[in-house]
Amino acid sequence: MEIPYVVTPRKDTGLFNSKIAIWLFLASEVMLFGGFFSAYVFLRLGADYPWPERTLPVLPGLINTFVLIGSSVTVVFAWAALKMREWRKFQFFMGITVFCALIFMILKGVEYNVKFHHQALRLTDYSVIEGHLGKEEENGKPVLDHNGKEVEENLIFIETEKVTFNTVRFHKPWVEEILTQAEHHQSKLVLAADLSAVTQEGQPAEVLAKAGDPLSIELLNKIQKSYLAARSHNAAYRTAALREEWKSAKAANPGKRGWQIASDVNIDADALAPKLLTEVSTVTFAVNPPARFDFHPRDIKEADGQSRMRDDTVIGGKLLDSPMVFHYVDAIDFQFLAMKAVKKGIDPIVAIENSWLIKNEAFAKEAWEWNKLQVAKIEKNLIDKYGINKKTGKPNREPTSKERYRIGWKDFVAKADGVDRDKEKIKLKEEFMGPDYSERESKETFPHLSVPRDQIGFAAKFTPAWNTYYALYFTITGLHGLHVIGGALVLAYYLFFGRKMYMENPEWLANRVEIGGLFWHFVDLVWIFVFPILYLM
Amino acid sequence: MADTPEAIKKSVRTYLFVGGILFLGTIITVLVATVPMLDVGQHGFDKWDCILGLTIATTKAFLVAFIFMHLNHEKKAVYWLFGSGVCMVCSLAGLTALALGDPIFDNFFYSGH
Repeated sequence: MEIPYVVTPRKDTGLFNSKIAIWLFLASEVMLFGGFFSAYVFLRLGADYPWPERTLPVLPGLINTFVLIGSSVTVVFAWAALKMREWRKFQFFMGITVFCALIFMILKGVEYNVKFHHQALRLTDYSVIEGHLGKEEENGKPVLDHNGKEVEENLIFIETEKVTFNTVRFHKPWVEEILTQAEHHQSKLVLAADLSAVTQEGQPAEVLAKAGDPLSIELLNKIQKSYLAARSHNAAYRTAALREEWKSAKAANPGKRGWQIASDVNIDADALAPKLLTEVSTVTFAVNPPARFDFHPRDIKEADGQSRMRDDTVIGGKLLDSPMVFHYVDAIDFQFLAMKAVKKGIDPIVAIENSWLIKNEAFAKEAWEWNKLQVAKIEKNLIDKYGINKKTGKPNREPTSKERYRIGWKDFVAKADGVDRDKEKIKLKEEFMGPDYSERESKETFPHLSVPRDQIGFAAKFTPAWNTYYALYFTITGLHGLHVIGGALVLAYYLFFGRKMYMENPEWLANRVEIGGLFWHFVDLVWIFVFPILYLM
Repeated sequence: MADTPEAIKKSVRTYLFVGGILFLGTIITVLVATVPMLDVGQHGFDKWDCILGLTIATTKAFLVAFIFMHLNHEKKAVYWLFGSGVCMVCSLAGLTALALGDPIFDNFFYSGH
């Protein structure tokens, strides 16, 4: 059967099938992106932290805008070429369109990659540090984790004496990791005490494992199995006993509601005890001799004496110095600290000068003093240019919070080069990829910094975890990127596989390209808003 | 719609022209945001930068929708379909905006002080 209205329009709507379909789809897309844009507006209005204004590198965003606008023009040219039955021209313009999509995605990939490797850290006093962490080394070689990736200098070190596993929740890879580390330190994990449990109803307790038995996954599995069996056995008895209690309580109190007699319903624990099996919910292993184990901060809530991993494994032992080591600090940001200080009615400058960073790190103090001079220059320039308000006596224009309280990587470059802010020389590559650390190292542009664990408030890479701005940035641009990939695949299909259809029914292909083009224009239209909102505002 | 070869040839020039305006609009937005000399309103980002940036973006969006997507001479059904989507977004965003005045964000509302 031939499908009607694929080339000729329906009389009532005046449209062919796919056109109705694409506009319906685009209407739903408007709602989807509209939802995200309103989320942006409301999250920004309600943000309880200084919103990162103009924080993304403009150049890659600008080039991507040009690339998308350019491709919007070429896709419409490709459609026009088909309408005029010029296949070669169509190929040429469609080829450029698909190529533009490729460039867009490559630039996006570079941008994402830079973010995924850039560390952000908020201290407990709300100062923010940005930069790159160093890598753990042992005997001059980088330490690799079980995925073969280099481990960053951001580990929790514990002089471990004992490890207590939760017999249900223990995470196998972490147990293996602990075993590997013990082996590395020529230490052994052995059961701290005999483990006996009643495993048969009415029988005496039997020894499941003896003190001194080495830790193994098999042993943990065995204990887990006995625990789960005991739990289900005991639960059945407890439920039956409770049912019986309710039954007799109801019989003794006719006409009363459940809540009125609930306090009288109690299981006789002593009577039940002989029937129950032993539930071994935790098992403790001693580390012999005690050794320094290291843990990823995301896996553990550290404390001196007792730290708890996310799988409820308790690590007993002294918490050692576990600093977070920045190989390069490329920004210090006091905006959040200043905002908090103002809320408390404290002078932000006083608060900043009493911060941990300024008090303990000479480079931070030096950079802050340099920044104060720069702000004074900006203030003077603004007064010279725009004057002072006669009524209020205040300058008509003042430096922004970012200028006052943030020392960004370009400022560090300016400081190292001995020039004023905004006079620094940045290479084109750096505009895309961020600072070229290896070259700037000789000038000692970016300082090293070791942050003690107790100063760390919150740390994350520049990922959605860092704040709502980055959450929105990745959601909106990620979703948009998926649209670019989808659109480019469809257009590439017309380009590489459209020849046959062109020979058979060129108008049908033209209609299809028009539909693909409509989607592509929509993708461009979304980016027209994404670029200023995320990059320039 | 430009369906005849002559009409299409004519509209190709319009597409180029619109493309040029889109490029120009982008450059203006970036310059206003990055060059201190061209900064509107207060020093740095403020509501005037926001209004200007969004006005240029909306103009660009209209040009793409009306010229590239041919909304300037579409059939009625398309306007109904697409228009209803846009209206839905506006009304939902409007409803969300009501939350800004919601007393649950006011610490003192329920305490009676």
